[in-house]
Amino acid sequence: MLTAFFSVVVFSQEKTQLCAACHGPDGNSPDPKIPSIAGQPKLFIETQLVLIREELRKSEQMLPIVRGMKDPEIIKLADHFSKLPSKGMETGAADPALLQRGSQKAKELRCGICHTADFGGQKQVPRLAAQREAYLEAEMRAYRDGKRSGGDTIMAATLYGVSDADIRALAHFLARSKAPTGLR
Amino acid sequence: MNKLIAFAVTAAFAAPAMSQQQPPIWHQGKPPAQAESKLAPHAGKMTETPASEIPIDKLKLPAGFKAEIWASGLPGGRAMAISEDGKKVYLGTRVIGRVYEVTDAGDKRTVRVVVDKLTQPAGVAMKDGNLYVFAIDKVLRFDGIAKDSDVKPVDMTAKFDLPKEQHHNWKYVAFGPDGKLYVPFGAPCNICEPPSKEYAQIRRYNADGSGKEVIATGVRNSVGFDWHPKTKEMWFTDHGRDWAGDDGPQDELNRLAKPGNNYGFPYCHANGIADPDIKKADACKGVTRPAALMGSHAAVMGVKFYTGKMFPAEYQNTMFLVRKGSWNRTKPNGFDVVNVRVGQDGKATYKPFATGFNQGSESYNFWGRPAYVQQMPDGAMLLSDEQTGAIYRISYQRPKAAAKKQ
Repeated sequence: MLTAFFSVVVFSQEKTQLCAACHGPDGNSPDPKIPSIAGQPKLFIETQLVLIREELRKSEQMLPIVRGMKDPEIIKLADHFSKLPSKGMETGAADPALLQRGSQKAKELRCGICHTADFGGQKQVPRLAAQREAYLEAEMRAYRDGKRSGGDTIMAATLYGVSDADIRALAHFLARSKAPTGLR
Repeated sequence: MNKLIAFAVTAAFAAPAMSQQQPPIWHQGKPPAQAESKLAPHAGKMTETPASEIPIDKLKLPAGFKAEIWASGLPGGRAMAISEDGKKVYLGTRVIGRVYEVTDAGDKRTVRVVVDKLTQPAGVAMKDGNLYVFAIDKVLRFDGIAKDSDVKPVDMTAKFDLPKEQHHNWKYVAFGPDGKLYVPFGAPCNICEPPSKEYAQIRRYNADGSGKEVIATGVRNSVGFDWHPKTKEMWFTDHGRDWAGDDGPQDELNRLAKPGNNYGFPYCHANGIADPDIKKADACKGVTRPAALMGSHAAVMGVKFYTGKMFPAEYQNTMFLVRKGSWNRTKPNGFDVVNVRVGQDGKATYKPFATGFNQGSESYNFWGRPAYVQQMPDGAMLLSDEQTGAIYRISYQRPKAAAKKQ
C-alpha cells in the first residue's frame, strides 16, 4: 500500500510539474488562453490526452509532452488532476448584457444536459464553469469550424451556425459561472 | 409540433444556412416530452484496460461453454477480420482511429497497431490475403499483410464514392459468398429525410471498387451482416431510431431475399410503425418487414452464422448476434449476445447466449459492451468488447457425463 502511494507521488512530481508550468500549480490556469484542468472529470482528461497523443486533436504545445506516453501514466495524471479542487480565476469585469446573452444561449443549446446543470461536467464531458474565457471561445470556434472534434461529432453539431458573438457571450457567461465543488 | 420537427430536420439538411435550429445529431427528433431527458450516448474508454481489471467471471453462458480473455489492450476494438490461417485477427475502431493486429502465438497473443490517425476506421475485411480498411472518409488495402507486416497500403478511396456526412457512416464491411464487398451507408441523422440518395442503403462492389450496386434501401444504420451458409441469403442488423420513447421502434434483424428491397427508413420502422416525425401516405407500403425484432434501443451489432464443429450440433447454421446495449432508454436493454434461429416461415426467434455485461436490469451498471463475434478455425468463437478493448474466446467442452456416453 505504502509502496503504491510513493510510486504515485514520485511519478506525479516530475510530470505534474511539467503540467503545472502552463496549467497552473494547482491545475487552475493563470493564463486565459490555457485551460484549467483541476477538477475536470477523470475520463475527460484521459480521453483528451489520448486524442492529443494520437494526433486526432491537434495541439502543438501538448503533443511533444504526451507523444509516446503510456496509458497507465495518462490514467494517473487524469486521476491526479481530477481530484484537485477547481476555482474561479481572475476573469475581468462582467458585462451584464453579455452574461445575459450567454446564459440564454446556453439554455437554448441545452449545454447543461451533458455538461450538467452547474456546468461541472461528467464522464467524458468537461467542466465549463470557471473555465478560462479566451480558451472557451477559441475551442468553441474550433469545434464550429471543423478544426476540433471530440469523441464524436456532438460539439460540432451543437455549435453549427452559432455566431461569433454568441460564442463570445457563451464563453463570457461560462467563465464566470461558479466553480463547482466535489469529484466528478 | 411533429411537423415542425420534421421540417426543421429536413430544412437543416436541405439548406445549411438554416441549420442553426439543427440540434446535435443524436438529439434530433427529441420530442418536447423528453426535452429535459438526461439520456445520452455512453462514454467510450480510450485507454487500455488491463486483463486483471476485466471481470470476465460475470459473463454468463449456457452449460458447457466457457469464456476467457483471449487478448486485451485494444481500446475501442470492434469488428474483426481473420487471416486465412487463423493466426492473425484485425480489429477496427471508431474514435481512437486505429486498426489493430492481434497475433496468436498459441499460449499468448501480441498486439500491434497496423494504422492509426484515421477517421473512425471501423470496417475491416480480409480477402485473398489482403486486408481492407474502411474509415469514414478513406479506404485502404494492405496486400498480403499477414505475411508482410510492413506492407504499405494502397489508397482505394476514390473508387468507392464515399459521401461526405460522417454520422452513421462508420462502417462494417464484409465479403459475401459472391466475392463482392458489401458496404453500408447509414442515415446521417437520428431521423430525417436523408440529404441525398447516397445514404440509408447497403451497396456491394467488386473487390477493386468497381461495379457499384445498391442492394438495399431504407436501412438506417446497419453495422453487422452475414450470409446463411446454405441459402446464401444476406442477413443484416439495423439500429432503430432514438427519441421515440423507451419502447420505441425496435432494432431489426433483416433478411435480404433479393437485391433491391426497401427496409422503410425514414417513414416506416420495425414491424410496420409509421414514423411520428417524417410522414408520408402509406408509409409502410412495399417495405420489407424484419425477420425478427431485436429490442428497443438494444444496439444490434455483429451477426455471424455458426458453422464450426466445436459447439453442440443444435447451434449449426444458427446466428450469434451481439447487442451492445442501449443508451436512449431509461432501463437498459441488450448488453448481451443472443442466439438466433430461423423457423420454417422465415421468421427468426432468439434466446440469450452470453449475458452479464450489465449488472442488474433496472439501471446502467455495465463493465463491458460486446460488439462483434468471429469464428475461429477450431470452432471457438471470439467476442470483441468495445468498452474494455478486449477479445474473449468462447469455447465449448462437452460435459463429462455426456462425453462418456459417446
